[in-house]
Amino acid sequence: MKLDRRKALLVAERDFRDAAGDLRLALAMAGLALVIPIAAGSGIRALVVFGGGLSDLVQRVSIVGAFFVVFLPASYSLVLALESFVGERERSTLEVLLSTPLKEAEIYVGKVASVLAISLFLCFGALIVYCTVTFPGLGYFPLGVLVSLGVSTICQVAAMVAGAVIVSANARTMRAANVMASFIILPMSVVLQVEAALILVGRGEFLWGFAAAMAVGALILLRMGLGGFSREALLSRETGAKGLLGRARRAVAGAFRDAPGGLRLLRARLAPILASLAAFPVGAVLGYLAAGALPGRVASPVLSALLRSSGRADPASMALWVFAHNLLAILLAGLLASVTIGLTGYLLTALPGALVGYAAAVSSWSLALTGILPNGLIEIPVAAIAGGLAIHIGASAIHMEPEGGWTRRLLGAQAELAKALLWLAPLLAIAALLEAYVTPRL
Amino acid sequence: MLQVYRLAKRYGEVWAIRDVSLRLEAGSTLVLLGQNGAGKTTALRCLSGLLLPTSGRVLVGGKDSRLEPDAVREQIGLVPEVPGLYDRMPARSYLDFFGRVYGLDPGTRARRIERLLELFDLAEAGDRWLGSFSKGMRQKVALIRATLHRPPLVLADEPTSALDPDSAHVAWRYLEELRAEGAALVVCTHNMAEAQQLAGEIGIMSAGRLLAVGELPELVRAAGLKKHREVVERPTLEEVYLAIVGNGVEHEARPA
Repeated sequence: MKLDRRKALLVAERDFRDAAGDLRLALAMAGLALVIPIAAGSGIRALVVFGGGLSDLVQRVSIVGAFFVVFLPASYSLVLALESFVGERERSTLEVLLSTPLKEAEIYVGKVASVLAISLFLCFGALIVYCTVTFPGLGYFPLGVLVSLGVSTICQVAAMVAGAVIVSANARTMRAANVMASFIILPMSVVLQVEAALILVGRGEFLWGFAAAMAVGALILLRMGLGGFSREALLSRETGAKGLLGRARRAVAGAFRDAPGGLRLLRARLAPILASLAAFPVGAVLGYLAAGALPGRVASPVLSALLRSSGRADPASMALWVFAHNLLAILLAGLLASVTIGLTGYLLTALPGALVGYAAAVSSWSLALTGILPNGLIEIPVAAIAGGLAIHIGASAIHMEPEGGWTRRLLGAQAELAKALLWLAPLLAIAALLEAYVTPRL
Repeated sequence: MLQVYRLAKRYGEVWAIRDVSLRLEAGSTLVLLGQNGAGKTTALRCLSGLLLPTSGRVLVGGKDSRLEPDAVREQIGLVPEVPGLYDRMPARSYLDFFGRVYGLDPGTRARRIERLLELFDLAEAGDRWLGSFSKGMRQKVALIRATLHRPPLVLADEPTSALDPDSAHVAWRYLEELRAEGAALVVCTHNMAEAQQLAGEIGIMSAGRLLAVGELPELVRAAGLKKHREVVERPTLEEVYLAIVGNGVEHEARPA
């Protein structure tokens, strides 16, 4: 998409001036961004002076303090973004902006840049104030943790802003947007608490993992926000919620009716199915390598428990157990696909692959493969097909289009898996019978 | 300048406009009349490239709103029903911002802004925040903003509804000036007297359909009023409107 940076900058400049021009809001934000770090830093210094010196616990609390100090201004980004998108929409100023030759991407980028600039200025301002008050003279400075905090803050703010844009596409009023914003602020506060817990238990190295996850989340949300920010989505009128239940029922029935079946489905979803299939050998290699890295005392109890739970004396009940287990795995993969952005679709084949690889490492490839044949000849393709459809569900969940239709596409993807289960389930039953009656005899 | 072929727009399961066709040459005016919910605002949004048609085509200056939406919007000045101004911006800065959005050079921007602020009696208030402006003043600013880049097509949704008679007169005179310079005007209004005075052509909308379009004498004929009253006096636009909407059937005043 072509983007005129000067025009995006023009929008950003106007929004920045508008936000900064609200003196009461600007003073409140700047005040809190100053007062809270000073108070928190002073508290840490008081702990050092009156609590018996710079203990390990005080050091960790000082780092946790930095996370909380940054979180507050970061949460302003949500307020500013909602105001910039939903507020403008409510006051009809967005309609005027959209009636100009500006591209949606220029308006989107300009607005996001403006909110990011203000929020990050406040976040890093607060962090600098906190560090200035807290650390001088203490004899330590947790640079690595603070850098990871800085990176994850940028991504956190970007994720919140992008989330707010997605909210704005689905909320007509600020009141509705504020309620929907809970879906953004709650997960973010959970992330903050987990980060704080990690610091307190001395596992600060995991913070980089959080920063990376935040970066991925922010990129996905920004892409979704850009996809969903369209004149059509923002200005089309709602026709009300009359007969909502009936409409939902019709939508589900329609999705199920329209979902392709059989070979047509396989052709349509060939790419994700192949991706899921490729996860099997990748999992096998990782499982093989893991056998060298994982000590036997860690892996053995897990594998023994797995074998115990699957070991049924009676072949009929074993077949039933295997069938129920495989079906449940596919159902869970499908249900969780939309919230894991399709990761469960890869896991559906990668985990069995990892088990085979691990078994091969501790015995031999021929022995490990014998253990999954001939049932694996059916189970693995079935898992790859179901996994591919789960990957497609995840992709639908993170894809927005200017014309809207997110719910319809997600429902359609879920209907494809549900419809495919009609013929995948019998195949799983055959595989389970093979596993119970034939495989043990080979 | 404007060609509309069988335009239709649906929101969910509701058709806001259906089968609207019309044609407007440069330097001419079309007044759209219709009760609330008739589809006038949706029609303007589709004509301005804000919304994509569910079916049908809109061509502005030969450009298709679906294929070249940016090029279409460059040729349009939209005065929406709600002025939609930034309250925490002075009028001059606000107009300057939109001048920059439309790519006007600094000299042209400054010249046009000052001239139009003078024309609409806003020069003194030009440095005040727009939030302090009265409803009428806001509507004037919206009109200036929409026409600052001298668009060849002006779409105005009740542009004088909040103006006092003097200001309304200035606004109509200004629109007339734009028309005389070659701009095509599409104006939605409820004010029959203004419509009658302004209109070259009049379109009557009801329940999302364009029931009739044509000049007043054509509409009078289409409404079937002339045979009753041609000798006594000419029917008013209001009578024509009520007759056409009251019948609820489409009249072929002139092929749209």
